[in-house]
Order: sequence, then structure tokens, then C-alpha cells
Amino acid sequence: MSASGLLLAAAVQVPLAMAACCLSPGFRRRVPFLLAFAPVPALLAAFFSPDGAFVFFPNPFRMTLTLDRPGAILLGGAALLWSAAGAFAALYMGRKPATIRFAVWWLLTLAGSLGVFIVGDVVSFYLVYTLASLAAYGLIVHEQTASAHRAGVVYVVLALFSEAFLLLAFVMLAATHPDANPLIRDVAATLPASPMRESIVALLILGFGLKMGLVPLHIWLPLAHPAAPMPASAVLSGVVVKAGVIGLIRFLPFEAGLPIWGTVLIAVGLVTAYYGVAIGVTQTRAKTILAYSTVSQMGLLAVLLGVGLENADPGGTMLVAYYAVHHTLVKGALFLAVGILAATGGARLRPALLLTAILALSLGGMPLTSGALAKLATKPVLGYGALSYVMSLAGAGSTLLMLHFLMTVARDARRNPDASAPPGQFLPWLVVAAASLIIPWSLYPAIAGEPVQSLFQAEALWKLLWPMIVGGLAMLIVSRLPKLRGAVPEGDIVVLAKAGGPSLNRLLLGVQRADTTLRRWPVAGLGLLIITALLAGALMLGA
Amino acid sequence: MTPLDAAHVATPGGFLLVLAVMLPVIAVLLMLAFGPRQTRHIALATLAAGLLVAIAIVAELLRSGDALTYVVGGWQPPLGIALRADGTSVAMLAMTALVIAATGFFAYAQQRLDPATSHGRAPTSFWILLMAVWSALNAIFVGEDLFNLYVALELLTFAAVPLVCLDGRAETIAAALRYLMFALLGSLLYLLGTALIYGSFGTLDISLLSEASVEGPVFPVALALMIVGLLAKAALFPLHLWLPPAHAGAPAAASAVLSALVIKAPFFLILRLVLDVAPPQTATYAGQLLAILGAASILFCSVMALRQARLKLMIAYSTVAQIGYLFIVFPLASGSETLPPWGTIVWTGGALQLVSHALAKAAMFLAAGAIAEAFGHDRIADLGGFGRALPISAAAFGLAGLSLMGIPPSGGFIAKCLLLTAAVIGGHPWLAATILAGGLLAGGYVFRVVDRALATPTIPLAPRKPIPRRLELAALVLAVAAVLLGLVPLQPFALLQIGRPNSLTAVAP
Repeated sequence: MSASGLLLAAAVQVPLAMAACCLSPGFRRRVPFLLAFAPVPALLAAFFSPDGAFVFFPNPFRMTLTLDRPGAILLGGAALLWSAAGAFAALYMGRKPATIRFAVWWLLTLAGSLGVFIVGDVVSFYLVYTLASLAAYGLIVHEQTASAHRAGVVYVVLALFSEAFLLLAFVMLAATHPDANPLIRDVAATLPASPMRESIVALLILGFGLKMGLVPLHIWLPLAHPAAPMPASAVLSGVVVKAGVIGLIRFLPFEAGLPIWGTVLIAVGLVTAYYGVAIGVTQTRAKTILAYSTVSQMGLLAVLLGVGLENADPGGTMLVAYYAVHHTLVKGALFLAVGILAATGGARLRPALLLTAILALSLGGMPLTSGALAKLATKPVLGYGALSYVMSLAGAGSTLLMLHFLMTVARDARRNPDASAPPGQFLPWLVVAAASLIIPWSLYPAIAGEPVQSLFQAEALWKLLWPMIVGGLAMLIVSRLPKLRGAVPEGDIVVLAKAGGPSLNRLLLGVQRADTTLRRWPVAGLGLLIITALLAGALMLGA
Repeated sequence: MTPLDAAHVATPGGFLLVLAVMLPVIAVLLMLAFGPRQTRHIALATLAAGLLVAIAIVAELLRSGDALTYVVGGWQPPLGIALRADGTSVAMLAMTALVIAATGFFAYAQQRLDPATSHGRAPTSFWILLMAVWSALNAIFVGEDLFNLYVALELLTFAAVPLVCLDGRAETIAAALRYLMFALLGSLLYLLGTALIYGSFGTLDISLLSEASVEGPVFPVALALMIVGLLAKAALFPLHLWLPPAHAGAPAAASAVLSALVIKAPFFLILRLVLDVAPPQTATYAGQLLAILGAASILFCSVMALRQARLKLMIAYSTVAQIGYLFIVFPLASGSETLPPWGTIVWTGGALQLVSHALAKAAMFLAAGAIAEAFGHDRIADLGGFGRALPISAAAFGLAGLSLMGIPPSGGFIAKCLLLTAAVIGGHPWLAATILAGGLLAGGYVFRVVDRALATPTIPLAPRKPIPRRLELAALVLAVAAVLLGLVPLQPFALLQIGRPNSLTAVAP
């Protein structure tokens, strides 16, 4: 096995091995301080593995690991955020017995969420995807409050649905293949010719859309992300939702294209992008606003994916990965910022707020930030028609939502005593914030195919500035509408599920009553006779 | 190609099959001879010996690559008795040995917790009944003759029923009686079917019957009677009236054996009746009927499991639901001219479902037993935080739950994946939807318990007495075994096909 192959394997195995080592009491005590090192192999693999690195583990493990360019970009950003959030968590979570349990769930989620970027075969993808999905439950409910519990239940139900949709889709994909566990790129290549194409694509979009939080499947996201402890929110919102993005990148046939489904993704994405902003501005908690911002940003990613699928443009996936890594780092840094700002007051507050503002406005596309690069890089594929304007306006929405976020955190921090978050928390935050600038800048020429100088032209700056101005003006209007604040509960349409509660209860009671009836002797005896008659009839019919 | 070998020829390792059936019987005789003080030691020795015999049988099967056969006394059927174990039967024998051994180990550890009563009536009866169940199960898995199978099935029922009411409480005696009555009803139907077949064909040997020409209505009626009789014993919905109280009321070790193994025996016989005795095309509609009942079982009883307040009742309802998966195998495993049913992925999927459910369910009941031992009750709502007090049991329950939910990596996942693939390829969207819905509901009821395990109540849950590690270990071993089954390749598994005829064409009338 080559060195790059070993690195890829270690990316998944090291965190799993660390989780297993928690059985030993000596390791258990130290594990919170080792969390920052768990993603290091993945980070090294992302930077040093050549494009197309490939490892195959034979039976009985039957796992294939492979790294392509979009995967490497996402893996690098994700590993960096995991590492920094892990360092943050070591101090943030404190020396409590519960921290060890938190660390185990953390390591399992980490292994799964990094694994989805590098596995190459269908069954292993399902394995690591499920691992990330289910282990994240432990992170969400960690604080054991009533709201965390509710968020956990909603999350698990939707995650299980996502698993079920995907399992069916994967089985349908693999059904037409001679190999029981084909490579993802093989099934994606043959998908357009599959007789079950429409249902497979629908199931894939449902399953991965649930994970990304596309409206109306987003309800778990604004409940779960704020409920988790701060570092966990950062990785949930920054990395774990990207499992859906990489899933769509890997499984949809971008080479051949599917115009109709591309349009569907664009439509769903646009609705999600605007919906996230519209609900987000009514929220009063900083973490919930960030969660709705994630919903909105995932909508923008879905639009980009849809455009790539519509135009049969395999290069579009690179742009999606580029946009996604910008979001990973910025959103991760913003969640950490909420934690920092909550503990910081006095003289340190002002610089911390300033950096937070830069990060926040980056999501709106402020010039020179990663958001600006991501928006400019993706402009060409959006064309110059209506879609481009609609997307720019969505950027204006992001600015509006981020201004709302900034006002919320600034107001919350006003009451802070004169204190400062410990350097052990500041440092990881600064690292992620710096990476959110450096990584997108260094990748820009390769991704966009034009030199960095083009970014400073007036035309490019104007493209970025007018949505920000619109967003700022919108903020002025929104801030004059005090009734808006708290108008929509967290998780918005999840309250609709309550309306369905009574009829569901009636159904369950009906089942219970039916069971009592069926388990009475006369009924069971009659059942015995009826089944005998039916079976005899069926056997005679066949003869 | 002859279907199943018309004349049974004893193979070198055939005596091992006799040993598998007789070893527990010898143990029972020794227990009766040496009295209660020695019962546990004889039982432990037998568990170890039985496990070795099972390993030897697997090794012999793999070595020879053909079924093991033994002809008792050298007399050919229909006069004599033949024992035969093909790949599928051997898998059942090995599963049985593993589950019985782990359960026995649990029971041994549990009895040592309470030295005062460890030589009492209930523990002694338990060991004798456990050995009887083991012998009967092995006899069913290697039997080749419908009447001998009837005898073994009766032995199984009569050994299993008292296991339910070992503690002698009124409610468990009521549950046992319910079980007994319904199982007897099933036996009657089976016996009636056997009599009809003997009257018409003059033989009860499965291989001979599979070649007989089956004109007229007698054969289908007889077959229907036998299958329904077995359904009653397997507790498939809507014939499950006896199972929840019986399995939930029995002591944990007994529940594990009842839920994991005892109800699999009638299913195994139905499988043999449908695939080996019934001519292939007659089974088409019957298979669909069985699948409808199976699907109803999955959906209905999973919802019931979700609604249970007590852990053991929840696990018991989950058993009825999981049994349903076995019955949806029939329409999927139709096979073809070139590919017999046991060459399909469905056969592997069904067998894996059977084995992984046995391991996972036994693990769950044993974990529930440790929980009940520690806290004195099994009300799910009041178990908040039990994961901290009993981490091994909680882990065992969670791992076993993965297998029931069909989450990778686990045997249950591979089973569900293979069945789902077969449903998709065969064009059975409703079965595919049922499999997925069953997985979701299983996720719901497993999650309810896992959620309690992870909870951190303000007043930590404390066990009323210390629970030794070894009591919790048996469940973990079984759960890990269920998860390790997930390493089986995603294709027709060669072991299960050993000794099956490779074409059906010769059987067609």
C-alpha cells in the first residue's frame, strides 16, 4: 500500500481506534485533549495525497478509499475544522465525566463525516454515512435539556428516514450491476441508462436533501444545531451537513446530465435559500440564526448542483466543493465565535466582534473574503440571466441575515463581565478564521481559471457590493419591525407535525385495540381456520 | 440429476449428527442420575462439548463439501431413520450451539448470584429443559422424515412450555398454558397433515416425497394443514396471541432461547415443506400468502413493540415482527430453471436474517435480564441513565439493535440489503417498502431504549445489587457475533448451498 493509501486509511481508522481506546481508563482521561489530533491524518491526506489516490481493502472489509479533487478540498476543510473544534472542545467541555462520553460520540461522528469524502464504494459509503448520522445524535442530546432531547428525537427520526431513502436508492443502483458492491463512480455513470432512473434520483435527492436541510426537510437543522454544545454545533453545521453535498456530487450523473432533475434541484435550492433567510431574521438566538443561515447556504449549493446537472457540466462539482469549503470554515468559525463572544467582555470584546463581523459578512460576499471568492468563482456557471440576479439577491439575503446575527451577538455580549475567553479557545478560532481566508485564496486560480488580480477589477467589486448594499438596506427595514422578532418558532414547520399528533395517536391506539382483539382465543382460532382454507386454496390453485 | 439423494448414504462424519442430538439427552440422564448438586456442572460440560461438536460438524462440512448423512442402524428409509445436515442445517446447528452456550453461561452466572437457591427446583428444571430444547432443535435441523420431525417438534414444545413458567407466578403459568394450548392446536393440525400424507403416499421421508407424483387435492390440503400448524407454533401474525406474554414472562435466559431459537424450528420446517416437499410451482400463491402475513407481521407488531411500556414485552413483540421478514422470503426466492432458490441472494438473505436475529434477540433478552436483575423492573420509562450503571448491557443492547434495524455493519444489514435487492429486482415494490418501514419502526423502538441508556437523570439510577461483569458478558458476545455477521459477502453464500441439489427441473411433475 502506498504512503497516500496509508494516509487515507488512517483518516478513518485513527479516530475509530481512538474511540476504541476509550475502553482503557488511562486513555479515557486524556482523550479530550487528543481530539484535536484525530483528524490530522485526514488533513495530511487532503494536502499530500495525489489526485486519484486509491486503496482497496479486500473481503471481508470490501472497502475502497479514493480521493479526487472535490473530495480533497472538502476533506481538507472539514479536517481542519474538526481539529480546531476539537481543541476548542477540550477546554470548552471541561473535566466532567460526561466529557468522555462526548469525546466518544465526537470521534465516531468525525470518522464517519470524514469518511464520506473518501470512500469509493457504495456499501462503505452507506456505512460511514450512517456512522456520521447516528453518532451525531450523541452530540446533539449531550446537554440533556428538554429542548436538546426534542431536537434529538426529531433528528433521529429524520436521519432514519434519510437512511431508508438512501438504502433503497443504493440497492436500486447496485441492482443492475454484476458486482454486489460496485464503485460509486460506476453506478453514477450507468444511472442515466437505468430503468429505475427517476425513482433513484428522487430517492437520492430526498435522502441527501434531508441531510443538507433542503426545505421542507430542514426542520431538524434549526433544532439540532443550537441544542448541541458550541464546538459540536460548529462541526454539525460546518461539516456534517456536507455529507449530503458530497453524496449528491458523487452519486448524480454530472457527466451525462439530467436536465429535468437539474431544474428541480435549482427550484428547491432557491426556495431553501430564501426561506432560510426569511425565517432566520425572525429568530432571536444567535445559534438558531446561524442554523437558518446554513439552511439558506445549503440552498445555494443545491442551486449550483442543479445547474451542473442541467448543463451536464462535471466541472461544476469543483465549484460546489469550493463553495462548500468556504461555508465549512466560515460557519464553523462563526459558531466558535458565538462561544468566544459569550465569554468575552471589556477591551477584548471589540476586536473579537470585528473578526466575527468579517466572518459573518463573508457569507454575504464581502469583497476580499472567501465568500467573495466563492461567489465570483461560481458566477460564470450561473450565466448572466435571471438566475444570476436571483442568486445575487439571495446573497443580499445572506447579508441581511448576518447583520441580524451580528446585532444579536453584540446585544448578547453587552452584559458580559470584563473577562476573556481562554487562549486555548481563542487560538483554534483564529486558526479557522485564518484558514477560511487562506484556503480559498490559494485555490482560487486553479478553480476559477483566472488570476487573483481579476478580483480587484471594479466590475467584480460592483458585482459583490450591490447585493451587500441591498442587504444593508433591507436590514434597516427589518430592524424597524419589532414584531418580527420571535414571530416564528425554532424549527418553523415542525409545529405542523403536532397537528398530526392526534390522528397518529388514534392510529396507534387502533393498532393496539386490533392487537387485543386478534389475541383473543375465538378470533385466533378463526384466524387459524381461515388461513388454513386460504393456504389450501392457494396450494391447489398452483398445482 | 437426482433431486435429493434417493438412497441415503452415510458419510464419514455422519455420527456427529447423532452426537449433536444425543449429547443433551445423555446430559439430562446424567442430571437425573446425579441429582441437583451436580446439575450445573454437567450442564456446563455439555455446553462445551456441544459447542465442540457443532464446530466439528462445520469443519466436516467444509472439508467434504457435501452434506453430512447418517442412517440409523443402516436401515434405509422408509423403514429406517436418516439424519442429514446440508449447509443450511449446519448453519442452524452452529447458531443453536452458540446461542445455547451463551445463554447457559448467563444462567450459570445468574444462579451464582443467589447461592441459596442455586440448587433449587427452578435452576435444576431449567438445565434439564434447556438440554431437552437443544436436543429437539438439533433433531429438527437434521431430520429427514416428517414423523420424526413431528416427534422432535413435540419434544420442543413440551420442553419450551415449562421454561415459560419456571418462576411459578400465576401470570406466567397462565401465559404458559396459553402457549401450550395454541401449540397443541398447531401440533394437531400438523399431525393431521402428516396422517393425510402417509395415507396417500405411504412414506413420510422428505426425499422420497419430493419425487412422488402429487395429483389430487389431498396433498395441498395436507400441506396447508401442516404449514398452518407450524405457523401457530412460529407465532406469525395474526397467530401470535401466545407469544408476547410467554416470552416476556419467562426468565431472561429462557426468553432468549425461546425467542431466538424455538420459534425458528417451525419456520425451518415450513421452509423444508415449501421448498423440498411441495412441487415448485404449487408454492407460488402460497408463498405470496405467507409473504402477506409476514409483511403484516412486520408492520403491525413493530408498531406494537413501539407502544410497549415494558422492555421484555417490547423485545417479544419485536420477535413477531422480525419473524415476518423470514416469511417474505417465499415469493422472492422463486428461483428459475437455471438458478434454484438456494442459489439466490434471497436464500442467503433469509438465512442471515434468521441467524442474525437469533443472535441479536438472544443478546437483547440477556441484556434485559441483566437490567431486570440490577433494577428489579424493566419499565422503559424508569430506566433513564441505565447506560452508566450497566455499560456492557447497554452496549450489547445497542449493538443488537443495530442488527435489528439493519444498520451497517451487522448481519441484519446484509440480510435486509439482500432481501431489498431481491425485492427491487423481482419487482415487488410493496415488499421493498415493507422492509424499509420495518427498519424505520425497529429504529424507533431500539432508539427508545438507547435514549434511556444515554439519559442523565438528576438522581443517577443505582442498581439495587452489584452486577458482576460475567453476567453482562454473554449478551455482549452474542451482540458482537451478530455485528460480525456483517462481514459475510454480499452474494449467495456458498456454505448455505452445500448439499442442496443444484437444479429443480427433475422435481417438476
